[in-house]
Amino acid sequence: MTDAVATAPVRMSIQRRGLTGLLLVLFPVGLLGWLILYPILNALVTTLTLRTDQGLVLSLDSYASFFSDPYSLNNLALTFWTTAVCAVLLLVICLPIALYLRFSRGPLSAYVQALAIFPLFVPSVILAYALIRTLGPNGLVDILLNAAGLPKLPSPYLTPWGPVIGLVWDNIPLTVLMLTAGLGQVSDNAVEAARDAGARPRHLLLHIILPQIINALLVALAFAVLGIFSSFTLPYVLGPASPEMMGPYMQRTFADLMQPRMAITQAVITFAICAVFGAFYVRSVIRSWEVR
Amino acid sequence: MNRREFLSLSSMTLGTTLLGGLSLPQFAFAADGTVFVYTGSDQNISDFWTNLVFPRFTAAHGGTVKMVDAGDNAGLRAIADRTLAAKATKTDPQVEIFEAFDPRFPADGIAQNLWVNFKEAGLANYGKINPAAFDSDFSLPYRGSQVLLAYDATKLKAADAPTTWADLVTWIKANPGQFIYNRPDKGGSGGNFVRRAIHEVNGRDPKAFTISNYTAEAGEKMLLPAWDALKDIAPHLYEKGAYTGGNSQSLQMLGQGVVTMVPVWSDQVLQAIAQGVLPENTGLVQLKDLAFCGGFSAMTIPTNAAQLDRAMLLANFMLSEEIQSLIISDLGGFPGVSWDHVAPALREKYAAVVPNEIPVFPSGDWATAINDGWYRNVAPTLTRG
Repeated sequence: MTDAVATAPVRMSIQRRGLTGLLLVLFPVGLLGWLILYPILNALVTTLTLRTDQGLVLSLDSYASFFSDPYSLNNLALTFWTTAVCAVLLLVICLPIALYLRFSRGPLSAYVQALAIFPLFVPSVILAYALIRTLGPNGLVDILLNAAGLPKLPSPYLTPWGPVIGLVWDNIPLTVLMLTAGLGQVSDNAVEAARDAGARPRHLLLHIILPQIINALLVALAFAVLGIFSSFTLPYVLGPASPEMMGPYMQRTFADLMQPRMAITQAVITFAICAVFGAFYVRSVIRSWEVR
Repeated sequence: MNRREFLSLSSMTLGTTLLGGLSLPQFAFAADGTVFVYTGSDQNISDFWTNLVFPRFTAAHGGTVKMVDAGDNAGLRAIADRTLAAKATKTDPQVEIFEAFDPRFPADGIAQNLWVNFKEAGLANYGKINPAAFDSDFSLPYRGSQVLLAYDATKLKAADAPTTWADLVTWIKANPGQFIYNRPDKGGSGGNFVRRAIHEVNGRDPKAFTISNYTAEAGEKMLLPAWDALKDIAPHLYEKGAYTGGNSQSLQMLGQGVVTMVPVWSDQVLQAIAQGVLPENTGLVQLKDLAFCGGFSAMTIPTNAAQLDRAMLLANFMLSEEIQSLIISDLGGFPGVSWDHVAPALREKYAAVVPNEIPVFPSGDWATAINDGWYRNVAPTLTRG
């Protein structure tokens, strides 16, 4: 009898705590639904339906016109190319930095980390104009080369490589942070044991470290790719007139060409491609939970 | 539930609603006497109004005036739609003056009596306006500007500067990589260069293009030869066609010595020279066979503005001799009033940019077709990359 009396209030307070939790989370989830989920559904309905005399009919005409237009497909191809090149460059640049930060012991590593994180605090527009001033025609690099008597380099400004340089620089901090976090899971014992057994650094990297951080690597790449695929500022300021990435193309279709439905179609296509990368990230997170 | 839990729950909900309410932006309404001026023009225009016009106006007539940047003409069109909707619901449209706008937008604005008819409004300074500047009874021209060519006088002597389109094309081909213009949708200097090419291939007749005569067939017939002409010069441009992203970017290319000649707006280049962005001896030349397009910027005032009287007062003030002189000396533009109403000293000083004629090109469907056509036909010729 005393047990029944004792357990009843505990069960009730658990229910009340559950209710409080739900109420707390109601505001952000509501905001998410209103500002993100509802516009997505709205965009899908707008682009998949057509208003005719018979009312709303299902129609894929805007998607058909996008995929049959070589100019639009060229822009999409450039976006894929830029994203792929940026992903590869990010990997090549950030993995050595992360490995250095993980395995170095000296005081220099603090400065290296600060330098790697620095781009996080620079707004994209400032970065764009700084790149124009340094890498642009007759910019700082050209002036230094000229002073040394060397020929000027062709500037990446207003070519597809301009946004690549800007986007890589902009995404270095996030990638380095995520890779360093992933490398934190690599135990020192395994590395030392392998070294004692006579493994050379190349084998160490390929057979001990990489298999353990492959998950973190893919997650970091997925984040970078999501951001780069839909980027606007750096391609807009640094990129060429044509082909253009999807971000500036969408803005131009909406504002200059006054074609909102076509712009929404382009947005849905961009979103669908990014959702594939996002699903990749979610799948790896779920798999890491299951392993634990 | 007990009192403690009730208090904590109610304070949480109250706190979140308060935070949500406080985080909403503070709105200022025209009902409190503020005159709102919306602009879609470049920064130099916005600075001119804010730094030179507003202090003089409030010193003479009191009250507060605020400048709002709508970004570009597309932004202004959205605000105009909003104003028309506010007229239907009889609410405050929160805009008194559109700094430079075409009253033909929105399409049924004039029919619905949206814009003040300046011809009948009886402003004191209305009679001083340059007759060539008028575009519509419903807009008030107060400043003008025109595209011309700016060049580096150390690399190109004034005697050799091209003065006809044919000369210009010859010069571009003889000096590869020394000329560039910006994308036509991003800035009027490149936009009017493209329009000059369109005029050239259509018999140099600006009257062939009106705001209402665009059709898909007319567009194809009149624009395709222009794309061929522009593609013809594309390989000889800077980096074989690295079109800059706007008026200012073209000016910066010239200022950095990367190119020798660019098309520029007269008011922007004069301001750049005054600020030291471009050297004092920068050469300016206008084509003689048919000048580059330009135009007068005319302001419009919605009839349902909350501060209509003060808006009309400000509009009249813009046509006063004080402000029109400032437009010439500080902005580098043309006055909206006839040059007879301007001090002779100023007229002499700016003789180089005072035009004989200012060809205009209509906006609307032609502009959309030109922008889209240029991106699809001319821009992709950049093969490097």
